Amino acid sequence: MSIAPVQEEVVSSDSVVEPDLPWITLVWNDPVNLMSYVTYVFQTYFGYDRAKAEKLMMDVHTKGRAVVSHGPREKMEIDTEALQGYGLWATFQKDD
Amino acid sequence: MARAFSRRGGGSKPVHYTAKLDAVERAVVAGLMEQVHDLVAPEQTAPEDDAAGGAGHEDPFDAIVSGLGGLGMGVSVSAEDQAPDERPVPSDARSFGDRDPALERLLPAGNRADDQASAEFRRLTEHGLRTRKARHLTSAIAALRAPGTGVDLDERTAVDMVVALTDVRLVLGERLGLREDADVDRLEAELATMDDDDPRLHAMSVYDFLTWLQETLATAMLPGDPGTA
Repeated sequence: MSIAPVQEEVVSSDSVVEPDLPWITLVWNDPVNLMSYVTYVFQTYFGYDRAKAEKLMMDVHTKGRAVVSHGPREKMEIDTEALQGYGLWATFQKDD
Repeated sequence: MARAFSRRGGGSKPVHYTAKLDAVERAVVAGLMEQVHDLVAPEQTAPEDDAAGGAGHEDPFDAIVSGLGGLGMGVSVSAEDQAPDERPVPSDARSFGDRDPALERLLPAGNRADDQASAEFRRLTEHGLRTRKARHLTSAIAALRAPGTGVDLDERTAVDMVVALTDVRLVLGERLGLREDADVDRLEAELATMDDDDPRLHAMSVYDFLTWLQETLATAMLPGDPGTA
């Protein structure tokens, strides 16, 4: 499986990240969740476009985890709860 | 012979998702969903029941499920029916604590670095997550038990189904020892040399069927998928 490197996606990804916000939501790799389903969840819950959702999904799959959102702690807890509701292995933590 | 989920409608017509599953396939999937519902549904601790005295706390649905061993058509995900798993938990994995590992997989610790934050997160979110998962499962079971050989899902029920399939696969996957990607290869190697009557062979074939079914539904549900408008 390969994902085309699209420059525009890198730019749009950067614009989403707010580096001064100290909390993150992580999704961890597991052997059960399907690539198609993880992509579906990222598109549906976060409203990410297909390319960004697939990039994050591949990061989870190949790197073992991916940061899927940044923001204040309360929002990261909401994201973690929602993603766990979908069955993804999500956690929140301070970004250090 | 099952037929995969595909998307219908769109444009001016409401979107829905249809598949064909025979009676046995529907019974297997619905039976496993009932077992997972039994595992994850919030514990019945309503104060009025306690006041009424002990016996009132058992949910009728749970009582029915716990009395029927064969709902998964030979596949049980009940903790009592599992062979002990003596393998060490990977050091970077979630802490299982005293809970059933399958339940822990459905409701994992929220913060790996901070036990106190995890405990607080669990206190705030566990009941809601259990309720939500149970609701998805109940809806999916009803869709599988509807009359006819087709499974026909509107958009909302399709979400229930795709999430319910996820939770069933997570529980069954945990029962099969699938915690890391490498475990899949290990299990497949073991299956090749297993006795024909090893229950894991049947469990794995059911797991593979659920994987196929979920894959076709998740793919059909992907927003903006070309050619399925």
